[in-house]
Amino acid sequence: MSDSAKIHTIETHNVWKIFGSRSEEALQAIERDQLSKAEVLEQYQAVVGVRDVSISVGEGEIFCIMGLSGSGKSTLVRHINRLIEPTGGEIFINGINVGDLNAEELRILRADKIGMVFQNMALLPHRTVRDNIAFALELRNVDAFTRAEVADRVTSLVSLQGYGDRYPSELSGGMQQRVGLARAMAADPDILLMDEPFSALDPLIRRGLQDEFLELSKTMKKTTLFITHDLDEAIRMGTRIAIMKDGAIVQTGTPEEIVTQPADDYVSDFVAGISKLKLVYAHTVMEPIEKYKAGKGKLPPIKDCAVAHPDDDLDTLIGLAIDQNNPTIIMSDDNPVGVVTKDALLLGVQGGS
Amino acid sequence: MVGSFIWAALRGNWLLFTFAFVVDLIAAVNVALVYKYSNAAIDNAEKAFLVERYENWTDSHTIVAVLVFVIGRILFGWMADRFYVAQYNKWRVDHTVRSGVVLSRLLIAGLIFALIVPLLIYRTTQFAPDNRTCIKQTRAIAKGEVVTFKERFDCFIIGEFPTLFWISRPDEITYPRDDLGNRIVKRTPPRANAPPVNLNIYVSQRIDDSIGYVTVFYGFLFDGITGILRGMLSAIASVFVGTPWPITIGVLLFVAHKMAGRRTALFVGASLVYLALFGFWQSAMDTMSLVVAASLICVVFGLPLGIWVGKSKRGQAIITPVLDVMQTIPSFVYLLPAIAFFSIGKPPGILATVIFAMPPMVRLTALGIRQVPKNTKEAALAFGANPKQLLTKVELPLALPSIMAGINQVIMMSLSMVVVAALIGAGGMGYIVTEALENTETGRGLLAGIGIALLAMMIDRVVQRANVVRR
Repeated sequence: MSDSAKIHTIETHNVWKIFGSRSEEALQAIERDQLSKAEVLEQYQAVVGVRDVSISVGEGEIFCIMGLSGSGKSTLVRHINRLIEPTGGEIFINGINVGDLNAEELRILRADKIGMVFQNMALLPHRTVRDNIAFALELRNVDAFTRAEVADRVTSLVSLQGYGDRYPSELSGGMQQRVGLARAMAADPDILLMDEPFSALDPLIRRGLQDEFLELSKTMKKTTLFITHDLDEAIRMGTRIAIMKDGAIVQTGTPEEIVTQPADDYVSDFVAGISKLKLVYAHTVMEPIEKYKAGKGKLPPIKDCAVAHPDDDLDTLIGLAIDQNNPTIIMSDDNPVGVVTKDALLLGVQGGS
Repeated sequence: MVGSFIWAALRGNWLLFTFAFVVDLIAAVNVALVYKYSNAAIDNAEKAFLVERYENWTDSHTIVAVLVFVIGRILFGWMADRFYVAQYNKWRVDHTVRSGVVLSRLLIAGLIFALIVPLLIYRTTQFAPDNRTCIKQTRAIAKGEVVTFKERFDCFIIGEFPTLFWISRPDEITYPRDDLGNRIVKRTPPRANAPPVNLNIYVSQRIDDSIGYVTVFYGFLFDGITGILRGMLSAIASVFVGTPWPITIGVLLFVAHKMAGRRTALFVGASLVYLALFGFWQSAMDTMSLVVAASLICVVFGLPLGIWVGKSKRGQAIITPVLDVMQTIPSFVYLLPAIAFFSIGKPPGILATVIFAMPPMVRLTALGIRQVPKNTKEAALAFGANPKQLLTKVELPLALPSIMAGINQVIMMSLSMVVVAALIGAGGMGYIVTEALENTETGRGLLAGIGIALLAMMIDRVVQRANVVRR
């Protein structure tokens, strides 16, 4: 299926956001004269938040947007449910242009289709966990009985059973963010917008929540836009990653693509410290069997070699190669398709391939 | 020796200049006063008691002049030293700092000196003419009599700021009934040779005219408001005053206990016993019903106003100055328009109280609304809240502690104003105090004052503890 034919759950076309009273003028000037961020600030007292961003997120995908603070990632995600109005460009959700909705339609979209999780949780301190979780339902005037039922179900989903009657201030940070997550999922939306949800938590709890969220999203299949400033997190969570810098997207790709083929120095700087063990797969580092034969001559007998699958990662391949003098043969459908030598393995770990 | 301030000016340190100048001025003024009083003593040589008094003053001003001069110079020397070191350090870092003396600064210092010193010294050596003398003098000038330059100068420069009687007296306006019994506006021009008036007299006359006009032709409006207030008050009063005291005490104790716990209930009980034993029961209940009525009005109008001020920039721009005026005008001042529009009695008392006690309600509500974290509001919007839901489910609950503080303030301020409002016949505990004031019955006034304080503490404790207990 070609990419252009299917309707994406979230699509943005050339979205611009410029803050300041003269944003419209500034946008025209940028398009005309190709001004830089600093020039726009100087000439129009306007700040470029998002710069010509086009992304498309497929159904069920976890799309990570990674960038340092000030790169415009949080601004971008607020365009999806129009908490921020774009200066230019269009946003589509399930093929519907969000910019065309009136206030009431927009509220319905926000309440039914989109759940949002915030870095600072933003729970309501005067409501119990249960009432916080059921907040979106309450806004839609769902009756109290259904609300309690749904809240209890979602509470157990994020393993907070028994905490329904507590107040947010009585919970730890990690538990509060579970409440935030549960609140986002209570209305059973198609789309989750997660704005650095785990950034404020300490590393151990963060890891636990990441794993739990991955488990959940496997079963719930929600399209997720996940904002983070942590590349490790982006790689763990994302099916695809977009890297933002100064409001613009520098590179979009799968974690492996980002790590093995960084688009520019900015991305490669980021990627430099990332462990490739779980990210690079046999099909990237292997040498095709014909090429191996041409260079090194005969292949050792398969029974004397370790055998692996093209989708096995470097970690597995290294495990196989230890105590083994022969190269590892990569078999696909019982046919040898490639060879991974120890040299290739070491290069793979280093990042070159 | 003469001008340490001139030295400071030359060096460009205006702070030091101001200090030295003011010190020298104080010393100089004291010297001038010595001169003035010794002259006065010679002028009044035949009155022994005046001479004695002037000589005492002369002595004390001499001492002050010497002390200020000596201490000022010592301080100046110390500060000048510090300044020199600082200036040198600055110069070492930045060689563009100008050192040495600059002539233009000397000119500025000289100008300041010339503008201030002669007039000030002249003023202190003379006895200033009083207002009445000056008015007489103005009339004399108008009649063409000869007035010496010194007398004119004294009136215009060193007396009160000259208010100049130059506006012709406005028409006198009355509102008699015509033959059909309808009110009409009747203007009477002033006498042919009536003296002119100044701005103050003119404007206050005009304000009185407008108030008169409004009360005569729109009286039904104020009567309506008075009627509503009176009805409301009598309903509340019938609860407090009409209920037999054992029931009232019982109910109040129960409420205090339920809302604020046993200790507060004990305090409330003791206060009630004080009020009852000293014979303040009826007055206290009267005051209570006034406070309740005023506070209710404050909350009903203050809460929406506060929400508006908290949410809208324009609301803030409009209401804040109004609140400032309401809070800073002395409370006695708006007793007057209250009488003008609503005559005397309880309703105008309540209105004056409302004006006095409303600002904290508006301010604290606005503060509470503004303090709701932005991201909490954003989250509510992200889940599809409409403006009304945002207000009722997020903003008001989060602003509640601030709003409750506002209500507490309103009650306290109402109580203090209700006492003042007794001056225009609002009755209650305040009446006892004003009566005691008129007849200088210190003991009675003191007892009533303690009663008012107990009443205030009682309400305050219950409302505040109720807040704490709920949270």
